[in-house]
Amino acid sequence: MTKCEQFDVVIIGAGISGAIMAQQLGAQQKKVLILEAGTGTDGRFFNNNDKKGYESYMDTFFTAMAKIPNAPFPNNPNAPQPLVTDTRNMSDGKPITNNGYFVQMGPNPFASTYTRSEGGTTLHWLGTCLRMLPEDFKLKTHFGHGLDWPISYDELQPWYEVAETMIGVSANARDQNYQQIDNPAVHIPFREGYDYPMEKIPQSFLDNYMNQGLQGMSVTIDYHHYPIKVVSTPQGRNGMPRGDYRPVGAVGNQNLGQRCAGNSNCVPICPIQAKYNALKTLAQAKTTGFVEVRNQCVVSDMALDEYTHEVKTVIYKQYTDTQTTDYEVKTVSGRIVVLAAHAVENAKILLAAGIANSSDQVGRNLMDHPTMLTWGLMPTDIGAFRGPGSTSGIPSLRGGEFRRKQAAFRIEIGNWGWSWPAGAPISTVPDLIDNKNLYGAELKRAISSVYPRMFRLGFLVEQLPDPNNRVTIDERYKDQLGNYRPVIHYQVTDYTRAGMAQAKQVSDELFAYLGVEAYTQYKQSDPGYVTYQGEGYSYNGAGHLVGTHIMGFNAQTSVVDKHQRSWDHPNLYLVGCGNMPTISTSNPTLTMAALTYWAADNVLKALEQT
Amino acid sequence: MYRLDDFYDLSATLTDYPVTRLIGTGVGNEYNQTLSQWVRQDVLDELYHCFSQLERNNDGQVCPQALRHQLLSNEKYGPIARNIIKMWYLSIWYKMTDNWSMTYGIPAYSSPVIGVESPTPEDYIISNNAYIQGLVWPLMGSHPMGAKQPGYGTWSDAPLNSIASIHLQ
Ligand SMILES: Cc1cc2nc3c(=O)[nH]c(=O)nc-3n(C[C@H](O)[C@H](O)[C@H](O)COP(=O)(O)OP(=O)(O)OC[C@H]3O[C@@H](n4cnc5c(N)ncnc54)[C@H](O)[C@@H]3O)c2cc1C
Repeated sequence: MTKCEQFDVVIIGAGISGAIMAQQLGAQQKKVLILEAGTGTDGRFFNNNDKKGYESYMDTFFTAMAKIPNAPFPNNPNAPQPLVTDTRNMSDGKPITNNGYFVQMGPNPFASTYTRSEGGTTLHWLGTCLRMLPEDFKLKTHFGHGLDWPISYDELQPWYEVAETMIGVSANARDQNYQQIDNPAVHIPFREGYDYPMEKIPQSFLDNYMNQGLQGMSVTIDYHHYPIKVVSTPQGRNGMPRGDYRPVGAVGNQNLGQRCAGNSNCVPICPIQAKYNALKTLAQAKTTGFVEVRNQCVVSDMALDEYTHEVKTVIYKQYTDTQTTDYEVKTVSGRIVVLAAHAVENAKILLAAGIANSSDQVGRNLMDHPTMLTWGLMPTDIGAFRGPGSTSGIPSLRGGEFRRKQAAFRIEIGNWGWSWPAGAPISTVPDLIDNKNLYGAELKRAISSVYPRMFRLGFLVEQLPDPNNRVTIDERYKDQLGNYRPVIHYQVTDYTRAGMAQAKQVSDELFAYLGVEAYTQYKQSDPGYVTYQGEGYSYNGAGHLVGTHIMGFNAQTSVVDKHQRSWDHPNLYLVGCGNMPTISTSNPTLTMAALTYWAADNVLKALEQT
Repeated sequence: MYRLDDFYDLSATLTDYPVTRLIGTGVGNEYNQTLSQWVRQDVLDELYHCFSQLERNNDGQVCPQALRHQLLSNEKYGPIARNIIKMWYLSIWYKMTDNWSMTYGIPAYSSPVIGVESPTPEDYIISNNAYIQGLVWPLMGSHPMGAKQPGYGTWSDAPLNSIASIHLQ
């Protein structure tokens, strides 16, 4: 081992949470080191001889047969990552230990993934940036289950504004307060006079078609009527700036990515970086001159000071390249240590180190949005396969009294036809040629008359925190560097299944209202096939991994306090969606980013005090 | 380039796109090369001969029924024809059956480029550029996902599918 370097703050993970922390601290001239497990592009956009730039991700994407979220990013056995194609049906009741990175203990498979490369999972996120509802912070109080947050919407509100500005979110506040929806449970108060840094991203032709087609529609749940309203979605994607705000272009080529140009490829990769990714915040962090990012350093352990219980050293394995297992073990120390390695990896590191777990809650309460899809053909050409993945949704059922009995959900309107449910067009056109025996003009007609009408909805259904849904570690399961693979226990309970059943009911009514020809099919062989009251439904992963080191009111029942600090170790802060005690119905990253800005402020104060 | 003109001729009939449109993609050479990489030359010769007979027998216009009878349903030619269509639309070379490859193909293990153990390679995308030129994208009224960006806000416009699929000829 080499001699131990000293920093003000050591951050583990160069994803959005780590980048925000580094940028905020570097701007205040704190000396920061980020240790990042994956490989990186070092601020380059173009390849430079043998040094790869962001464009190398595009090359890999173009020739990848399965265009899954992780397709563009290097397959790196030294920092392995889960793939959606690893997920298997578990109805035979047996654990799956040797298929991909996760060890799946069931009873249901965990279907979500993340990315382990510099920049983290926002390299391939969609960019949806919704705020949570005020009632989402108090589920236990309002509905008698789930958990309350130790922080309220009102307290987080100013940090939402910071996060929306720093990420660069395009939306109109007057749409996003949901005042236009006649369901007070979903109304979100915005500060008087506040607006997002950029105007809303234009809604797709499909959105507008649905908006008109759904006028007057409502659904009934427990004798309550809920209007079905199409609302544009706030997105971390460059649009038309307001006031003197200037969009942040691509890292390594500022002229690119000034506005979304409609590449229709946000997931898995925006070719021009009009979509926000954490490389942008990392670049800002580096320009402070106080932040160093060290790639290919996998943190595996932490050591404590016996007397103060502070984290004394961070221990990592630095490897030379992705294809060999050569590595050196090194240590660093920081006055403060911030764990920002993503919900699952954070829990894994804490469990491996055996720290921060006096509550026994580390790894527990793992949540996601089981995402149920429905799909069909619109009666007319709606111009499918164009624009950002989703530009609008139906938020009407994000909240309401029904949450006592069943899960709330948000409806996402997909702009890319059947690409998610069926892999269209790449996976579906061969069937027209091989089995439907079409060629020439008939084949052309079959494609041009059907594909532009393809339509799908996604229902992001909430899960409640359940201590049995958890990430653990096991000596038997390690990667090639000897680091633990996540062992996952996961179940979709009846509360969520009831929400899926309700969602399907809403979808059926909506299809009937619009005259959609339904093609939805849930097969028993689907990895995420579950039943509820005799009917079958299938879920997919949303990539929204939440709740593995929850914040709470006391050290007995939670891992971090309201300030995002470990209850057990005074110089250890955790950031990321793992801190969130409930998931509710919003994609979690904006809320997590708001919490991270708040956490950075707390770290700064703590540094000043010591 | 082996019998490129014949390749375009056959492709035009199989896809119903004029040869000029196919040449315009700029990747016809790559597809033709791919074909010669996996299909024996004498088999290609026979295929083109069969096709030219169909043209000749019907004054240059291939009769759809004859095409189905002589070519698409033929165990030797059918798989080649379908793979040609799939290359144009999706820019992917699809694995032939082992049996077909052993009889009519150039087994992959004899190829210095790929050198796999099975007689046929797995499905693969022919090249970056070929992916971008796939005919399926404009036919759907769209663009290849991740390339040929149509510009800010274009997704709000009414679809122009009919223009892309018909007038482009
Ligand atoms: C397909 C998909 C779409 C999504 N779309 C949305 C969306 O539209 N809206 C939304 O709100 N959220 C979305 N998400 C979720 C979002 O991407 C995550 O919530 C967010 O990226 C989490 O940020 P993070 O910083 O905690 O982790 P990450 O972004 O995953 O970053 C963690 C970093 O830590 C590094 N790391 C991991 N282990 C170690 C280690 N041992 N040592 C050192 N470094 C380590 C990783 O390599 C990575 O760089 C999506 C996710 C997916 C998969």
